[in-house]
Amino acid sequence: MLVIGIESSAHTFGVGIVSDSKILANEKEMYPIKDKGMIPSKVAMFHIKNFSKVIKRALEKANIKIRDIDGISYTMGPGMGPSLQVGELVAKTLAKELKVPIVPVNHAMGHIEIAKHFGNLNDPIALYVSGGNSQIIKKFENRYRVIGETLDIGIGNLFDNFAREAKLVPAWGSTVAKLAEKGKFIEMPYTVKGMDFAFTGLLTYSKKLIGKVPLEDICFSLQETAFSMVCEATERALLLTNTKELCVCGGVAQSKRLKEMLSKIAKENNIKFGYAPDEYNADNGAMIAYVGEKLLKCGISKNVEECSIKQRYRIEDAIIC
Amino acid sequence: MLIGKGAEAYIYLEEMFGRKLIIKERKKKEYRVEPLDSILRAQRTKREAKVLYLINKNNIPAPRLIAVSRFSIYMEYIDGNILRDIEITNELIGYAGSYLDKLHEINIAHGDYTPANLIYSKGKLFIIDFGLSQITNNIEEKAYDLLLMKRSISKELFSIFLEYYDKNKNRDIIERMQEIEKRGRYMIRTLA
Repeated sequence: MLVIGIESSAHTFGVGIVSDSKILANEKEMYPIKDKGMIPSKVAMFHIKNFSKVIKRALEKANIKIRDIDGISYTMGPGMGPSLQVGELVAKTLAKELKVPIVPVNHAMGHIEIAKHFGNLNDPIALYVSGGNSQIIKKFENRYRVIGETLDIGIGNLFDNFAREAKLVPAWGSTVAKLAEKGKFIEMPYTVKGMDFAFTGLLTYSKKLIGKVPLEDICFSLQETAFSMVCEATERALLLTNTKELCVCGGVAQSKRLKEMLSKIAKENNIKFGYAPDEYNADNGAMIAYVGEKLLKCGISKNVEECSIKQRYRIEDAIIC
Repeated sequence: MLIGKGAEAYIYLEEMFGRKLIIKERKKKEYRVEPLDSILRAQRTKREAKVLYLINKNNIPAPRLIAVSRFSIYMEYIDGNILRDIEITNELIGYAGSYLDKLHEINIAHGDYTPANLIYSKGKLFIIDFGLSQITNNIEEKAYDLLLMKRSISKELFSIFLEYYDKNKNRDIIERMQEIEKRGRYMIRTLA
């Protein structure tokens, strides 16, 4: 089955093509962020300008024609409304034109499933860390369930927000990570409640330190404290559910340091640890195509008229087979 | 002798001066940098010891605190059965309810109040494991204690539990528990 997946939940417009769980193409264009955050309407405009280019590139890469496609999937949510709408519209138009089945996909599920695929895992605890999301997730029967999560902002937002405040360019968590390499540790607020955690106290505290202590030290301590928090919650979740597999996914899973910390937890508890290559941890179309194919093969699809978006689409509300 | 391994600490059963005692040691976590690792372990050990001290002082049945070092707590060994592993009678769950009432009265939220953390020994019930406990008058934290217990026992037992917890005095906490339940995502916390 040849399935095309469209991702547009945030700043990335991504198109992936999958055939029998094999990824044939994964193309994307990213809205450039310099010093300000994302303005939803501008991001949507960017997607409108770029979608046809990205689709063309993906088709070329996979060496197929648009008429060869057997099914379409797109990100239904969670994400920013205007961005999601562009992907939805593109997917619906294609489905109508090509007369092929269409299926909406939960963005978080895309991240988890692709990490399981690359990590060769069956039933892991998934740590899903990105800009807007930070959750510990486990599958029970045919649904994923959140067993721990941030009580306020996503961990990526914590880093991005600090980067903007500290006038780092580009204003990304990766810039914070780079500076952190040369830092020393300062004690900061640490909030873990069972398997939940919170970041705003940490953000406020680090912002207040700007200009008072070396920036490298703040970056280092901010990153170490935040990662230690999610690691502690993850370890607790692994032990409580007696799970022997672990994966990390989402944009922040590109962090080398986070993966290093998690692999230490895995080693200590005799747990198999896996993740996807960076290209698939950042938002991408391949993961949407991958889940789309899985769902379509189970006979799950929707009428074009029924397809919609949902900005706050929680993973518990999505079915997987 | 190592008898238990949790997410945070190792539990040892040792004999000193002819008496059995429990040593709870917070182990170094390789994934955390120093000094963050030492800071957290020391803070939590101190907090747990303080909670245990307050509980002893108020005569709520729990292990007696013997000594504290930087990362370890030494306490009395209670030889008995974990409530989770035996038949929970109405009488026992009644005690569990009245103990939680006492804890909340002195502003301690246990943090993990389930039958796995109650021990029945020689005709008496004891509370153990204050690793997640907090000294707080926050209603939400206290309501969380109720919710965890509700998730762990039958409906009938929980209604007896509430009877002894003192429904009238703690009405606001019980109401908050129902509110938390409605927040949806807590519907799934039935793992333990």
